[in-house]
Amino acid sequence: MNRTAVAWDCRPSECSLKRRPLAALVILLLLFVTPGVAQAVAGQTTSTSVVRATHLLGFAGARNKAKGILSIDGDALRFQRSGTPSVQVQISSIQDVVLGNQSRQVGGIPLTLAKAAIPYSGGRAVSLFSHKKYDTLTLEYVDAEGGFHGAIFELKKGQAEALRHELVAKGARVINTENTEANRGGRE
Amino acid sequence: MKTTRAAILLLAAAFLMIAYPSRLSAETAARWSVQVSRVNAGTTSLTPSFQAAIYENLLEELSKTKRLRHVLRDGDQEATDVADLLVLTTTVEKYSAGSETLRAATTVAGWTKLTVHTQLSTRDGKVVFERTLSGNVRFFGSNLRATHNLARNIAKAVKKSPLVNPALPALATVTNSSTSDEVAVVEFR
Repeated sequence: MNRTAVAWDCRPSECSLKRRPLAALVILLLLFVTPGVAQAVAGQTTSTSVVRATHLLGFAGARNKAKGILSIDGDALRFQRSGTPSVQVQISSIQDVVLGNQSRQVGGIPLTLAKAAIPYSGGRAVSLFSHKKYDTLTLEYVDAEGGFHGAIFELKKGQAEALRHELVAKGARVINTENTEANRGGRE
Repeated sequence: MKTTRAAILLLAAAFLMIAYPSRLSAETAARWSVQVSRVNAGTTSLTPSFQAAIYENLLEELSKTKRLRHVLRDGDQEATDVADLLVLTTTVEKYSAGSETLRAATTVAGWTKLTVHTQLSTRDGKVVFERTLSGNVRFFGSNLRATHNLARNIAKAVKKSPLVNPALPALATVTNSSTSDEVAVVEFR
């Protein structure tokens, strides 16, 4: 075995760290930065239970097309629109969670009018680039009276999957673990 | 003499039916409650979000008609206590998934089309309303807007339809085949 014996009580002139101050600085920085990074990562994992979402329809008590915060609070899924009381459902009452993705035009009516005003149908070309993809989260749940509800939320791309994992971990039922709308053969 | 009186009464009834058909149908429909069943995707590849959207929009649009006493959800326990209950079932027959970007870019392509077969039936399975309706998005709006348009069309059709009075059977025919003037045969449906 090719081993080199190094004395533990090395003299200052021989100690490798003291000979390489830059390496020492990097090691020190790593020691300080690593816990910070770990905390940040931990923060990201917990923050997935709180996401910005647009309620499209179906969540009892919430207004359609309302923007707000969708969060998992204990054993409840809560939707809070700013300035209004939150509405929630028990996660155990969720019968299925289905993910989907959609693409929609951005800019609303102002951009639509602007596109229409562009000569030589230039607005059509703009439409090819003025769209945004987002995730949809469809929840099927039953209320206290046994009534079936179907709620749809619009989330930023990539957020729905993490939220579904958390919902499943908290007791939401999913009919198919690979339950996405693409897998069901549908495209929106 | 009695025949003349009966004829006058029948004529008066017929006149009332012609003069105030909407009022009569509204009054009879107001006695019904409707329970909306979950949407059956049939053989189509309709996505769950569309099924949920049709279902929720149907509940909303049927409530807006104000012609039904209650509009209940699928599985609602309250439905067992409701006397005159109709069950609305919706089966998707055709579905073409559109694209909002394609609609905006081409105008003539990317339409979202939905065609469903819907029927209202009583608890014992008697169908009182049956129709094939569609909801499309051709130019502006998201794909899910097709579900809203479809639900609105279904609600309009239910509103216009003369639903049969649940308490009293509808008068179908009145004939006097008997030789005697005292007997009249009355048929209900």
